[in-house]
Amino acid sequence: MSAALAAAAPPAGRRGHPLVRRIGGRVLALLAVALAWEGLVLLFGIRPFYLPRLSSVLGAILATPGAYAAGFLRTLAETLIGFVAGGAFGVAIAVAFLRLRALRELVFPLFVVSQTIPVIAFGALVVLWFGNTLLAKAVIAFYLTFFPVTVNALIGLESVDPRQIALMRSFGAAPRQILLQLQLPSALPQIFVALRLAASLSLVGAIVGEWFGDTTGLGVLLLQAMYNENVVAIWAALLVSALLGTGFYAAVAALERRLVFWGAEQ
Amino acid sequence: MTAQRSLAVQRGVLGALLLIGLWEGVARGFALPAYVLPAMSDVLVGVWAKRTMLAEAAAYTLAEALLGYALGALIGIGLAVALSLIPAVRGFVVTAVTAVNSVPVVAYSPLILLWFGIGVASKVVMVALAVSFTLFLSTLAGLDRVDRRSVDLMRSFGAGRLALLWRLRLPTALPLILAGLRVSTVRSIIVAIVTEMLGAYGGLGWVIYQAVLQIDFVQVWAAIVVASAASLLFFGLVGFAERRLLFWRAT
Repeated sequence: MSAALAAAAPPAGRRGHPLVRRIGGRVLALLAVALAWEGLVLLFGIRPFYLPRLSSVLGAILATPGAYAAGFLRTLAETLIGFVAGGAFGVAIAVAFLRLRALRELVFPLFVVSQTIPVIAFGALVVLWFGNTLLAKAVIAFYLTFFPVTVNALIGLESVDPRQIALMRSFGAAPRQILLQLQLPSALPQIFVALRLAASLSLVGAIVGEWFGDTTGLGVLLLQAMYNENVVAIWAALLVSALLGTGFYAAVAALERRLVFWGAEQ
Repeated sequence: MTAQRSLAVQRGVLGALLLIGLWEGVARGFALPAYVLPAMSDVLVGVWAKRTMLAEAAAYTLAEALLGYALGALIGIGLAVALSLIPAVRGFVVTAVTAVNSVPVVAYSPLILLWFGIGVASKVVMVALAVSFTLFLSTLAGLDRVDRRSVDLMRSFGAGRLALLWRLRLPTALPLILAGLRVSTVRSIIVAIVTEMLGAYGGLGWVIYQAVLQIDFVQVWAAIVVASAASLLFFGLVGFAERRLLFWRAT
């Protein structure tokens, strides 16, 4: 979609819109990588077992576009549910931790330990608990997502200037108003740092979750290709995963530019 | 300050005890079957009963993770440092690395397993891949963090590129590099276990996979407990080394 946008735009010279120019630059870099891929394989005669030509990988996707589209949508749904739930839970818990110091000291160390548990081990249990459903994968994505959001939201909420809080309080602002109008907006740049990280983590959760048995999804396509020792199909699934990963990341970054228009980051 | 800190530690311990109590109480109270939630005490008994097998598996996984970790750290830091010396190719390499990195690392494991077989090599490569990405990006960010004026000052005294790197850029980058090394510890063990579950001859991931197949969920939990303990140990060791190396920085 962004490629079409850049192509439709007039040839961006020095006066092109900065966003269009940046997307144009990305597209050029992508084309360069694609050409280098195809060229290097041809030039060095790399065996398809190690690296098939990009054109044959694209051909494999175009041969059965339905399977890849279905896998893309399924994994996207799992990723999105896990991401939204993890993000909302992370921010809510951070607010609770901010208000209740005792709760924070009680629970936070457990959160840290929970992050050392290998997801995939946990994955076997989650699939058992929730059945082999979309929900089970979303829960794994959620599990990977909430922790970085909690940590960063807490850092952001705590870095609000206490004088600003005192000022709002002196005008009679309720704690709710202080939270909604001062603390959360100030924490937003920091929260988005975590959300960008969470965008890729939730995709990991969705893909790994699918390895515990499912019939559609990018993780399933990867695993099936491995069992068939079909390297071209593995690369095809990887390429579609890359498309999903980059697209999702770009969407979160775009939302960040929209919401954090005053732009503390970048 | 210290009183507050010890209160925080007390509450942390209390939280852990509460969780264990809750877990034990729920599992025993509702007489939950082991495949839903085995009691904590059963899990610990399971760890003790299978201690030699679990210790061997943990050693196997730790060896893979450590080897891959060292390899990945060397590659990631080395590549970032080399790029800072040859700025001409930087744009291309960063684009290529970002492109490869846009796929979650674990998604590469089917490919790596096909290429390197289901022995130790594929796990080492996967861990090295994951760790080198993290360290490449954090080292590059760290090397870029130097103050322009410090660079100008050193240049004006006739410092060359290597002197700048060794005396200014690397020390400035050290906190970020060490933070990357710390984050990578837990990740390296997780990646090793994930790859083992897709195919291996041994290790904690293999034990978990076998236990799932045999529907032995006490053993799944026992292996999870051991894996977490191994991660925490590795994390703690690197954190300790970090505090030693960054002695000039207050935590």
